[in-house]
Amino acid sequence: MFWVILLALGGACAAQAEDLADPGSAPDAAAPERAVVQILVSSQEPVYDAPWRWEPIQRSTGTGFVIEGGRIMTNAHVIAWAKQILIRRYQDPRLLPARVVFAGHDCDLALLEPVDPKDLDGVKALEFGELPAVQSTVVTCGYPAGGDQMSFTRGVVSRIEVQPYAHPGNRALLAVQTDAAINPGNSGGPVFQDDKVVGVAFQGIPGLQNAGFFIPPEVVRHFLDDVKDGRHDGFPMAGVSFEALQNPAYRRLLGLADDGLGARVDWLRADGPAARVLRPDDVLLEAGGFPVGSDGMIPYRGNRVAVGVAFQQPQTGETIPLKIWRDGRPLELAVKMEAYDGDRLAGHQYDEPPRYYIHAGLVFTPLSANYLDSFGQAGRDYLWEGLARLTYELHNRATENMAESRPEPVVLAGVLPHAVNADLGVRGRVLVNKINGVRIERLEDVKRALEQNQGARHLLEFSGPEDGPMEALDRAAAAAAHADILRTYGIVADQRF
Amino acid sequence: MHRRLFLRLLPLIAALGFFVAVAPAMRAQLLQRSSWENSLVSVEVTYKVYDAFQPWDEPTRAIRKHGVVVAPGEILTTAQYLPAHTLVRVQKGGRGRWHDARVKWWDAQSNIAVLESASPAFWQGLEPAPLAEKVGRGPEFDLVRWRDGNLEKRRVEFGRFTVGEGALGFAPHVQLEVSTDLTGLGWTEVVARDGAVAGLTTYSNGRVCGVLPAPFIRDVLNAWREGRFSGLGYFDFTWQPGGNPELLKELGLAGEPRGAVVHRGGRESDPDVSPRARDILLEIDGRPIDSEGDYLDPDYGHLVLENLANRGHFAGATVKMKVRRGAEEVVLDYVVPKAEFSDETVPREVFDGAPKYLMAGGLVFQPLAQPFLRGWGDEWRKFAPFRLQYWQFEEPDDGRKSLVVLSGVLPDEINLGYQDAVMLVVDKVNGRAVATLGELAEALKTPSPGGVHRFEFMPGRDLQRLVLDAASLDEATARVKDYYGLPAASRL
Repeated sequence: MFWVILLALGGACAAQAEDLADPGSAPDAAAPERAVVQILVSSQEPVYDAPWRWEPIQRSTGTGFVIEGGRIMTNAHVIAWAKQILIRRYQDPRLLPARVVFAGHDCDLALLEPVDPKDLDGVKALEFGELPAVQSTVVTCGYPAGGDQMSFTRGVVSRIEVQPYAHPGNRALLAVQTDAAINPGNSGGPVFQDDKVVGVAFQGIPGLQNAGFFIPPEVVRHFLDDVKDGRHDGFPMAGVSFEALQNPAYRRLLGLADDGLGARVDWLRADGPAARVLRPDDVLLEAGGFPVGSDGMIPYRGNRVAVGVAFQQPQTGETIPLKIWRDGRPLELAVKMEAYDGDRLAGHQYDEPPRYYIHAGLVFTPLSANYLDSFGQAGRDYLWEGLARLTYELHNRATENMAESRPEPVVLAGVLPHAVNADLGVRGRVLVNKINGVRIERLEDVKRALEQNQGARHLLEFSGPEDGPMEALDRAAAAAAHADILRTYGIVADQRF
Repeated sequence: MHRRLFLRLLPLIAALGFFVAVAPAMRAQLLQRSSWENSLVSVEVTYKVYDAFQPWDEPTRAIRKHGVVVAPGEILTTAQYLPAHTLVRVQKGGRGRWHDARVKWWDAQSNIAVLESASPAFWQGLEPAPLAEKVGRGPEFDLVRWRDGNLEKRRVEFGRFTVGEGALGFAPHVQLEVSTDLTGLGWTEVVARDGAVAGLTTYSNGRVCGVLPAPFIRDVLNAWREGRFSGLGYFDFTWQPGGNPELLKELGLAGEPRGAVVHRGGRESDPDVSPRARDILLEIDGRPIDSEGDYLDPDYGHLVLENLANRGHFAGATVKMKVRRGAEEVVLDYVVPKAEFSDETVPREVFDGAPKYLMAGGLVFQPLAQPFLRGWGDEWRKFAPFRLQYWQFEEPDDGRKSLVVLSGVLPDEINLGYQDAVMLVVDKVNGRAVATLGELAEALKTPSPGGVHRFEFMPGRDLQRLVLDAASLDEATARVKDYYGLPAASRL
């Protein structure tokens, strides 16, 4: 299934400023839409396979709304890679500069503030309500494509469950589906129920009619609580996966009654907090006070959602109490939750340009999902061996064979042609295994291995863990050519760490 | 010239004059080979197309291709579509009666097959066509095929000689590419030159048509007829071109770039007489290897060194390889391994009968093989599950030679809760490592403690384990077999 974030690109940001608002026809000062702003963003993403370069500036629009503390809430994807952020208040022609205070890319939420705090004078902050009930009516509000003025749509809450969040790409959190029209440009806009914000519009599914999604108040509050200490840790992860325990033989084996309770621990991340207290085939009976069903779900405010939601309630450093069934007996445990960024490279990254190191025209950069995206159609047409090896290294190696995995796999992204490297047959899109005998665990190892080599040549070995292709460079000639190559290709800095 | 001498030479001059004036027409007639009608035959193959996800299901399809009579009672064709054939028929003259035929011999790696027919009426009027001893470069060939009951002969352009895997195998061998605007090719049409078979088409891709060259066919056929065909071989090491002089220096070879750098040693061959990682291959079979990894073939020009696995010999032959190993040159007596699908963790083809499967309590297990992955359709490399595909590129750490996949679940009360447990590679069953369906069947004879059969899958983020009730497994298997209409619970 494909998910799309609802950012309006291009033309909409060329909208003409409206005439000054007519005070006589303006809505009530307390009307919630007065706290809704249009966000106009100029952004620029790096080129991941030529990481010193930047893509052309892209303009897009989204929606935000003023909350307590003079801040504006929106989606993280609205302001990702922003070079300039402008806000436009309801029926106000001015373009007001703003900046990012916190961006939670894992939950696709961000907080902005106007550069001049007075720009929000007179705006009444919106308040958050509770998780809306399924079938209840909600109203979305924002600046979707198709016009310049604020748009309102009405619909019902269709269902509430854990959904993949398209923006991070490798996180799934609670989300609410509605049949209210949510279109590109709505991103970051509030979803109202009784003048309270009960969600933040954020994504849709192409081809699925009357299905938009918004982030519920639970996730928003978690984000706001997280940043209260001035730091964004992100949603903690326990590093465990549970499987339904509905098979009668499996239940008998574990000594469980056929009462529809309990989900089985199937997988534990070796370095995760859950692995310190749980074991495979432990049965989770209760998590954070929620009874766990044999389908791996918990009852949650009138809904039935994946047990993972229980683990998404605590903040980093807090514990979640568990009741489990082990060796035929109940047991009470607690897991201290931790933020996890070990899969950072496997998800989409934002706002931090890629690290790289260039030597003699050889461009090294960490292997990441963003880097693989740079393959374009060649990365989507079919699974060729080189792509398969990189994909496996990024997404599977650590899970399946931690001993062979690398904290930050590094690729040779490309070679800037020069006489000193023209004979190299390997020209990029390949994992760097060793340089001068040093196994490359992270980008720093590349620099160290090249700079500390005293031999006549640099020997580079690719692919791995098995023997792959190799190349060599004359060390002195490489060093001598380095500056010339940077000059030729207009590269200001040969590294970014 | 002296008059008497002139008179004496007159007959010879006349003969020469005749030859110059008349013979070209006769020669042309010969070269045109008006008798292709009497050599080129149509071949109809009905074959089984197994359903990757229901391997007990055996629908059939039929195709028509060509064959050419190359010896009395022998029809040469490609092996494509023959491995799972149920019926083969042949027709002469492009129309009329179809005669039953039999596959006398076929070989997947070389993609060559020989058919025979016991019908005397079929052979009446047919005559063998010669296979060209040599097929040189350019500029044109004739392409001959039956089309709507008429013999069609069209010019096609020479493209190049290349080396690649065959249509059914992975053993490298020389191939001819011709260029043409004709469509619908690749059905074993004859490519001819000078009245002889220059090759048989094997595929068509846009304007390029692949052809199995006649000299290669001759070598294989002769070896088969003489009982010395041991199968095609391949080089089981991997290499890269030696075009980087700095790398060659690093590995101990000075001077102009030459040779191919081995970066992974052989898997199947004797390590004492096989190239190792960091060896530089300088000569194979007495032929120097250039820095592109090519050698100069006297018949075909520059070809990639892989062709030397099968040039003038077959699997099992000893081939001398001169390699640079550090500071010294070493000559290896490399024994060319036979190209066997079973040597691959995920075999590209499985031709030893119908697809194997084992159904236990509704869980359907199959060997992980490329034909199974191709169940995702023409774009299987895009759509088949990534983790299943990746076993083609990296073998299991524990050295097991094959894998078994849980490919589906036929819902039943015994497997309640496992409906979505599919496309998982089996690691262990009841504590025993499983590489084949036979091992799985054996492991099921000894349940785990607690009266269950315990299935564990390869480490990863997918489902790691499940159990089935052991006491009711046989009964459930029989029930599922009947309910879903399987002819048998397993085919091992």
